[in-house]
Amino acid sequence: MKRILLFAITSVFAITSLIAQDTELKKEKQASHYNTSKFKQLQELLPTPNKQHTASGAPGYEYTQQQVDYVMDIVLDDENRKLFGKETITYHNNSKDVLEYLWVQLDQNMRAPDSKTPEVSGGGPSVLYSPTKFAGEFMGKPFDGGFKIDYVNDIQNKPLDYMINRTMMRINLPKPLASGEKFVFKIKWWYNINDYTSLRGRSGYEPFPDGNNLYVIAQFFPRLAVYNNVEGWQNMQFWGRSEFALEFGNYQVNITTPKDHTLNATGVVQNPKDVFTKKQYKRYADAKNHFDNPVMIVTPEEAKEAEKGFSTKTKTWKYYAENVRDFAFASSRKFIWDAMAVDINGKTVMAYSLYPNEGNPLWEEHSTRTVANTLKVYSEHTFDYPYPQATSVNAKQQGMEYPMICWNFGRPRNGVYTNRTKKGMIGVITHEVGHNFFPMIVNSDERQWTWMDEGINSFVEILAEYKYDSELFPLEKYPKNIVGYMKGDQSRLSPIMSQGDNVFNFSPNAYSKPAAGLFILRQTIMGPELFDYAFKTYAKRWKFKHPTPADFFRTMEDASAMDLDWFWRGWFYTTGNNDIGIKEVKKYYVTDKPTERAENMAKRYGITADQLPPSLYLVSESSDEFSEELKSKKPEDYTVLSDYIDKNFSSNEKETIKAPKYFYELTFEKPGDLVMPIVVEFEFEDGTKERKQYPAQIWRLNDSEVTKVYPSSKAIKKITIDPDEQTADVDLTNNSWPKNTETKFDKFKKNQIKG
Amino acid sequence: MNRSKIFFLILLIPVFAFTMHKYYVSMCEIEYVKEKQSVQIILGLFIDDLEVSLNKIHNTELNLATNEEFKQIDSLYIQYLEKHFQLNINNLPKKYSFIGKEYNSEIVHFYLEISNISELNQFEVKNTCLFKDFEDQKNIVKLKVNKFHKTFYLDNKNPKGLLNF
Repeated sequence: MKRILLFAITSVFAITSLIAQDTELKKEKQASHYNTSKFKQLQELLPTPNKQHTASGAPGYEYTQQQVDYVMDIVLDDENRKLFGKETITYHNNSKDVLEYLWVQLDQNMRAPDSKTPEVSGGGPSVLYSPTKFAGEFMGKPFDGGFKIDYVNDIQNKPLDYMINRTMMRINLPKPLASGEKFVFKIKWWYNINDYTSLRGRSGYEPFPDGNNLYVIAQFFPRLAVYNNVEGWQNMQFWGRSEFALEFGNYQVNITTPKDHTLNATGVVQNPKDVFTKKQYKRYADAKNHFDNPVMIVTPEEAKEAEKGFSTKTKTWKYYAENVRDFAFASSRKFIWDAMAVDINGKTVMAYSLYPNEGNPLWEEHSTRTVANTLKVYSEHTFDYPYPQATSVNAKQQGMEYPMICWNFGRPRNGVYTNRTKKGMIGVITHEVGHNFFPMIVNSDERQWTWMDEGINSFVEILAEYKYDSELFPLEKYPKNIVGYMKGDQSRLSPIMSQGDNVFNFSPNAYSKPAAGLFILRQTIMGPELFDYAFKTYAKRWKFKHPTPADFFRTMEDASAMDLDWFWRGWFYTTGNNDIGIKEVKKYYVTDKPTERAENMAKRYGITADQLPPSLYLVSESSDEFSEELKSKKPEDYTVLSDYIDKNFSSNEKETIKAPKYFYELTFEKPGDLVMPIVVEFEFEDGTKERKQYPAQIWRLNDSEVTKVYPSSKAIKKITIDPDEQTADVDLTNNSWPKNTETKFDKFKKNQIKG
Repeated sequence: MNRSKIFFLILLIPVFAFTMHKYYVSMCEIEYVKEKQSVQIILGLFIDDLEVSLNKIHNTELNLATNEEFKQIDSLYIQYLEKHFQLNINNLPKKYSFIGKEYNSEIVHFYLEISNISELNQFEVKNTCLFKDFEDQKNIVKLKVNKFHKTFYLDNKNPKGLLNF
């Protein structure tokens, strides 16, 4: 009976409050609105799921992917710094569609004399001009870069019809290519290799004063564009920034270099006995047994010896690589080559480094070890590294990734390196080797979505670097490293979900912000257990496939039972930032005397206050109903509660029950646009601390302010929001109660004087 | 010879640094605290970039933020800041006192203060830190005066910000 009355009271209360609101409506008509909730589902933004990309975020049963195989003969002309190539391409149309033409990427044309890339970058004069740059820009003598195509022929050596639109070449097929068919054709080409130290670029050569060159060669052959289920042909032009979209296939590549060069490439050398000396070959074969420390294949002394002569003889390195999306190689007389075996779940993978003597002692100490660490940590978070090797090549100013091989900066000066050089070098190697997983294997479209490989990779990079050296790479700097960017002027920010060529502040936009977001998801919102399983699911579902952003967003929710649409919407689709503060703290005390609020409620039912069911009431310290004597009362002092406890609990249970002594009403404010969990630290009068985390969903019905009652057995001395700065809160001045009027500056100055 | 090469490296990296561990931005937060009649300045610069510039100026290895750091480093910082970070308040050039510095992983924060400012009617900042060596360098200056906020984006072509109250 009492229960029914209580129920009636609560429901009537709800209704009356509605009526009360109604009568307060102003006369003028209020504007209506669409669903503006920050928790609105993402369906309207994400592409409709289909049989290729399913609603769960997994590849569907009708998912298709093209395959492209290459057989290439390459000649590196060191003396004239030219690269010559003949390639036979086998294109497998695995899609359900009939293709009238194929698109081939000619990335080198970005540096052709008629390239549009310089035309689209605005701005005034440069600070200074290298002679090359000056002659190129002002004297009509630009670098003669870009592909020179000798022929595009079919398998019978008959010319094919083609058209070149800057960095894209359309091969007009003699007859449409049906689903399941393949088309074989040949291209012969050459180009002038650029000195990337003065003309920029992700590939080219670095000249040394003695006439030696160090080549890092990539985007060096006409490569097929991606034809997929979401974009059709991905043939957006290469402007120089947004990177690549490529199909998987098998590569058989013969590279002819001067006889005294050392080379490594994507894949595995098939004729090691031909290209290594006997001693080197023995060391190469033996390296597979060294799991603890790197061993030399080509020694520093051998490299120094090779640098001296300029052989006119040649040798040919035969490489084979299976199921890769690209091919790159590095070649020089200057290379030292060291190696270490890595055990990836029982499978042996080789970690290699190629570097000139100028890289030592830094490189022999850290490069190969960093490669090994990266393969291990990434494998734990995704899938076992499937390729036979991973190589880190030392190239000045570079940081660029290809399957199984990457270019990395970092050299000592005069044989000495600083901690900062070491940190930069380990960081870049971890990052570039990590790219083997994203996007070389989890093959997202870099031309369209830079964040999908850079951001996701930068996130796993944080974990891998920490594992390598936790002092050099502490986790504490994340995610607060992104705060400076996120609180910047809104007109200079772009949402992460933007095409890479079109964003301000490319680096924080596509690298640090997505990485910081995933870090917050893992550490604060989902927790490592839920996050890691879902993240791994994404990596496994999409390895050797082409995922889209929706596949990532959907999989993270599908595998964790967490609705994260609010997070993706805020962090990835907007430029909003997070700012949560504590606005007000009110103390309450318990009484058994009905408060004015309770009496009013009783009145509405036509009953008197003493007819209300037995209850306790909370009285605010600041209200008129408060009296000092309440302070000394414990909840158990009231018979309403003590009777209830006596009747309902055993004596054992009673011992464990303890009523809180203090009641606080906390008001949190949220000036920031993003929604985030509220992480609160309570510090009590006895010096002890307690943490409480309210889920982000606390903001569902009020986006600017929420209140919570916090019961406590101890009096609170201090409240701090986000004490460890784990939510990228952009303004900490409203994060504490009692309000901290001391600025960061005051605090520093005080400590300075003390010190 | 060696130095000119380094110079090139510096100029090229900003535009085509693919690893993008960082960006070429400095952040300066300035607050006028009326009760204290004080202008409080916190200026943050990337240590490695500043080191490049200072090493060049002094033609030595300063090893900033390491155990081997140059002993009188603060005097070099002060000298550099006086040249590249200048403030006018109420139409008069004002000197600030160097309260101290703080290294926070990759960034050095300088704490500077101008005292005895009872009224703030006009404010001008010129921040040319790192412009010489980093062509993409942008210096952001955030100004807070009472409840008023203003952000300046300063770069090589536009190194000054001016505000009248």
